[in-house]
Amino acid sequence: MGFFEQIAVILQRYYPYFLDGVKNTLIIAAMSVVLGVVFGTLMAIMRMCRIKPLKWLAAAYIEFVRGTPLMVQLMFIFYGLPMVGIEFPDVSWIPNFSRFMAGIVAMSMNSCAYVAEVIRSGIQAVDEGQMEAARSIGFRYGESMRLVILPQAVKNILPALGNEFVTVIKESSIVSVIGISDLMYGTNGVIALTYRSLPCLAIAACIYFVLTFLSSRLIAYLEKRMKHGR
Amino acid sequence: MEDKSIIQVRGLCKSFGKLQVLNDISTDFQEKKVVSIIGPSGGGKSTFLRCLNLLEMPTSGSIVFDGVDLCSSDTDINAQRQKIGMVFQHFNLFSNMNVMRNLTIAPMRIRKKSQEEAEEMAMGFLRRMGLEDKADSYPSQLSGGQKQRIAIVRSLMMEPEVMLFDEPTSALDPEMIGEVLDVIKQLALEGMTMIIVTHEMRFAREVSDRILFLDGGRIDEDRGADEFFDDPHSPRLISFLKKVL
Repeated sequence: MGFFEQIAVILQRYYPYFLDGVKNTLIIAAMSVVLGVVFGTLMAIMRMCRIKPLKWLAAAYIEFVRGTPLMVQLMFIFYGLPMVGIEFPDVSWIPNFSRFMAGIVAMSMNSCAYVAEVIRSGIQAVDEGQMEAARSIGFRYGESMRLVILPQAVKNILPALGNEFVTVIKESSIVSVIGISDLMYGTNGVIALTYRSLPCLAIAACIYFVLTFLSSRLIAYLEKRMKHGR
Repeated sequence: MEDKSIIQVRGLCKSFGKLQVLNDISTDFQEKKVVSIIGPSGGGKSTFLRCLNLLEMPTSGSIVFDGVDLCSSDTDINAQRQKIGMVFQHFNLFSNMNVMRNLTIAPMRIRKKSQEEAEEMAMGFLRRMGLEDKADSYPSQLSGGQKQRIAIVRSLMMEPEVMLFDEPTSALDPEMIGEVLDVIKQLALEGMTMIIVTHEMRFAREVSDRILFLDGGRIDEDRGADEFFDDPHSPRLISFLKKVL
């Protein structure tokens, strides 16, 4: 049986494994990015604020998270935290809720650090003169931020956030090691059933590629529309 | 009759780290007078001007504007800045807004003017400058000279008591310098109080009542415009004028 026939057969028989994996991968990626953006924004504000201890705390967090592997962070949260008595609760009507929570928490804590840097650099890329002009005309710091700086910074930030979403989709494959049934986990399951690792991995790679490619096209399209609308 | 002084600067010092940029500057600025500040690069001209609306916080000394000590911690600096117009070397028009919005946003949000009122006032200024067709343009679509004239109008929209100009023509192509200087001259004729940092010597002489020579963080010469050029005292000013004239 040729390679492509194998793929066809595997897809035909085991497509629910892949579909379920895609669903969970997308849920984890979306949740992580949303939470990552919310907390990343807070983190960026802390990083840029004038209160020194907050600033140092944020800077240390960002450096630490960006400087350690996601795998370690994930293990730390899933296996490490319960040892010191912190456990994610189980919810009866969502299977594997505590695993999912650990995965999402780890992914979003990781994403949060990257998003914070994206936001900070997006704001700092706005010409300093814009803030000076707003302040010297009599606007308060907050007003200047809201009316002048942030609308310009958003144009720098959104495309980079889109890239972050693409990265998270790919990186999320790592949550399979703690037993979350994402696309990678589903793929491993099919491999275990069929002993055909190459076609299964090829299927997984194609699905990941389609997901990231579609996302990045969508982002590029939004970016273009934003430019026209200024 | 003694002219009324609107800004009093006393013992102003400013350091960036170890570098002392302004060293014990004391002077007064009179209402309805134009004062130019000239001097070599790095002499502290821009820093001095930026101290006057607290874009730079003085290290020590005091600046009293219209009877209010700007450096005091219970002064609302935002309220004071609304009365001090500032024009920058690089224009700094808000690049996310069109010209009309650039002009009307501060009067509407800070002075609580209605949109009609603000737009009418803005159109009046634009018409005087011959820029009424640019109301819907964005800053990136304007020439340097147009941007700077719009930036001047943006400050005027707040009806300031003083206008500060930080090298308003230094970033312009030579053929656009004239149109900006003409606007400033017109303002001088209308009796606007102005403090201008500039490298345009002829313009400074023409428009100013008084000129300060700032070098090494000190006021090295402080004279009427004509004597400043015809009869300079400070040896450093004499050598500076030799180089630039």
